Amino acid sequence: MIRYGADRLFELAGAALRHPGPDEVEVTLGREQVALTRFADSRIHQNVHRLDHHVRVRVVVDGGEAGARVGSATSGLLTPEGVRRAVDRAYQIARTVPGNPDFAGLPAGGTTYDSVRRDDPDTARCPPARRADLVAALLRSLPAGTDGAGALETTGNELAIVNSRGVRAYDAGTRAALSILATAGDSTGYAEGVAVGLAGLDPVTLGSRAGEKARLGAGLRELAPGSYPVVLEPCATAVLLHRLAHAFAGRAVREGSSPLADRLGAPICAPAVTLSDDPLSSALPAAPFDAEGIPRRRTILVDRGVAVGLTYDSAAARMGGTESTGHALAPPNPLSGLPTHLFMAAGSETTESLVGRIDRGIYVTRFHYTNVVHPVRTTVTGTTRDGTFLIENGRIVGGIRNLRFTQSVLEALSGVEAVGREGQVATERFYGDAYAPPLCLSSFAFTSASTH
Amino acid sequence: MTFMDIADLAAVAIDEVTRFGPQFADVRAVDDESESVDVRDGRVERVSRSASRGVGIRVLVGGAWGFAATADHDGGAVRDAARLAVELARASGRVAHEPIRLDDSPPCRGDYVTPHEIDPLEMPVAEKADHLLAATAAARGVPGVSFVEASTDGWRRRTVYRSSDGAAIEQTVLHAGGGLVAYAVGGGESQRRSYPTAFRGQFASGGWEAVLALDLPGHAAATGREAVALLAAPDLPSRAETTIVLDSSQLAMQIHESIGHPLELDRILGMEQAYAGGSFVRVDDRDRLRYASPIVSITADATTPGALGTFGFDDEGVRAGRAPLISDGVLVGFLSNRETAAAVGLESNGTARADSWGSIPLVRMNNVSLAPGTDDAAGLAEIVAATDDGFLLCTNRSWSIDDRRTNFQFACEAAYEISAGSLGRLYRNPTYAGRTLDFWRSCDALGGRSDWRVWSVPICGKGQPSQLARVGHGAPTGRFRAAVGIR
Repeated sequence: MIRYGADRLFELAGAALRHPGPDEVEVTLGREQVALTRFADSRIHQNVHRLDHHVRVRVVVDGGEAGARVGSATSGLLTPEGVRRAVDRAYQIARTVPGNPDFAGLPAGGTTYDSVRRDDPDTARCPPARRADLVAALLRSLPAGTDGAGALETTGNELAIVNSRGVRAYDAGTRAALSILATAGDSTGYAEGVAVGLAGLDPVTLGSRAGEKARLGAGLRELAPGSYPVVLEPCATAVLLHRLAHAFAGRAVREGSSPLADRLGAPICAPAVTLSDDPLSSALPAAPFDAEGIPRRRTILVDRGVAVGLTYDSAAARMGGTESTGHALAPPNPLSGLPTHLFMAAGSETTESLVGRIDRGIYVTRFHYTNVVHPVRTTVTGTTRDGTFLIENGRIVGGIRNLRFTQSVLEALSGVEAVGREGQVATERFYGDAYAPPLCLSSFAFTSASTH
Repeated sequence: MTFMDIADLAAVAIDEVTRFGPQFADVRAVDDESESVDVRDGRVERVSRSASRGVGIRVLVGGAWGFAATADHDGGAVRDAARLAVELARASGRVAHEPIRLDDSPPCRGDYVTPHEIDPLEMPVAEKADHLLAATAAARGVPGVSFVEASTDGWRRRTVYRSSDGAAIEQTVLHAGGGLVAYAVGGGESQRRSYPTAFRGQFASGGWEAVLALDLPGHAAATGREAVALLAAPDLPSRAETTIVLDSSQLAMQIHESIGHPLELDRILGMEQAYAGGSFVRVDDRDRLRYASPIVSITADATTPGALGTFGFDDEGVRAGRAPLISDGVLVGFLSNRETAAAVGLESNGTARADSWGSIPLVRMNNVSLAPGTDDAAGLAEIVAATDDGFLLCTNRSWSIDDRRTNFQFACEAAYEISAGSLGRLYRNPTYAGRTLDFWRSCDALGGRSDWRVWSVPICGKGQPSQLARVGHGAPTGRFRAAVGIR
């Protein structure tokens, strides 16, 4: 993808700022290239490339005592004509809608942004043949008789945000992700990797790990549902963290759908748990500003088991009488205001050591299709998949059929016995990336069994 | 840069890609527009209008697929995308087995416009906002209601489709809908009640008239009262197995997760296994597997009037139709596209759908519906009256099912005790769980034609990169056996 660069995007946005009608204007200009090579049954079956643009304009018209009148419009045309159409449409909406007395206003400029390296031009230019060859190398690393399925994705993007109050923000970045599901008979194993660039991925190691899991799980046995101690791999830990994120949203606390009302400063889980939202870490590098141009920063959510922080976009901050923490996402994203770059501090134990703590329990590679059952109780349900093993006398003794869990995440994290040192970035559908370590939990409630 | 109409963009794309002599190529030039209005209590929280326009080019070269899409609106960029699609297909061929082939679906020529009265994108936003504010005001008038949200969304998609085998289609599809949610919060609990259903409400193929037909203001107060009642209700007790009656909106979700997805042929063939998962169903289960009790018949029907999954042609140019999936409880068909159908010796039933110009068509549900029972007059009241002991569960709150679609668990917004044929106590936080085949084989009562209603699922996720489809499900009230009160 050939980048437009900050100057060209700022110049495009300028025409909207000069529109004579609105009192305030915000322009977001974005370009994104996604290339994804998908394979199943050890062959590439989908191979796609998409170059997309957007212009999003938000305008504010003073509505007097009724409050600000706000309109938003998005165009896919990243040209002066596209910008003009978007600002005209947004202004047309703002002139006609009722005012919103709670509108927080557009953020003021004059801020500086920290940044973290997240751009790899080589990945942004990756040709299809290179992705195919990496997939081929991955598949060759699988043991004989094992089929592979998964995806190799490279993305590149650039984003500029400009508003009439002086915000001028620009960022460009890349991301590479590789996943592999190995299937051997009735057993499956999974591994994944995420990095800024393709050079940060190791297809052969990922393939070997997934293949070994599939081999180890052969001859699945059944285990009755019940509460067991567990070792969670990072992918499984990350899912629980994502499902807990809602609890830290200031808006959810205010509305009563979070368990943290009146609990800031109090212990909510085991002292081994320290959780932050860290979009500027090298593990989870993101744009250094949110969707409104407010600087992102590290927010500590749980410090050694104690709840210490909440997150806000500007709308939630206004209602809560506080400042935005830089957690706005582009509307209509329902995750706006939530922490979306979760980073749980790793511990000191090897994964083998975590397994060694358990007399009889379950080892979980990852979870599937989790959903919240009760937000205030942080109860989540989902199933295990692709590498679920029985632990006996401190070692893995074989694969078991998958199980469904129904478990309060906070209660599970109150039973953290040890945190592993082999953390990694894991991706969850709809939620994105999180950095998570393996965990040993004293108890996890499995409520029913699957057939495979 | 010259601004080109989507018909011109499609013509440039198909001309360029066919120069490379592919086995097959098709292009979709798409103009998408949408508008959303969100209100909360007495204020408008968000009004947004979106437009997106681009071309997707899919090509089969050497038995392997490539797809490239661009939002650039000039001929040069479209020609570049066509060449890139061919390069992608050739790269796919580096890791390939048997060549992909397509079924013999005939190339279609034609056009289609969703029947509608009022284009939802032409309605003034102020009128939409006023309609929603009237609904939230009515619900807020109920003592105990903490806050109320209401929303409406409208979409308009114009597609020009061309293929290398001569298909030429122009299609405009309109979707509209809305909903209302009342919340009651207190004592460490947060309860919500939605109307007509959860997740931004009920959607139809059609115009603004579909939103007006929901009468959100007229149902708002009752919705608020139910939210307040839930806050004071006890949790649904646990039972290892009991009789449950599902209202038709929850049964629609049950159909979606435990019948619609498992019968997608790409899942069955393992193409989605690493991500969204596979299916317990095998290709040779067709005409053999007793999926459900004999009173259960399911069809995939892209022609259901007003349903959210209704269209004229799918995104491979196959004409919309009606395909039986389960007849009298026996599995008889799959959801398929031209590639997967050919792989098992069938013809596509026209369920290839893409969520934008930038996405490839995947096997997707259209309107996967459960036929009503034989007693036309039977409805929820009659089924409850014929039930000695159990629970009625209403309106989905969350869902989960394993990666082969066998083990499911749902949460609903409200449940009522059923005792000796009458509805009794209200319960909050209801859940139920089961295994797909056991559950569907336990179905022993269905509402009739008067009870049957088409519901919408506007956020069906699948694929990588992730796509969201808007689908429909017709369903009556139904009675089953399941575990309840899992927590």
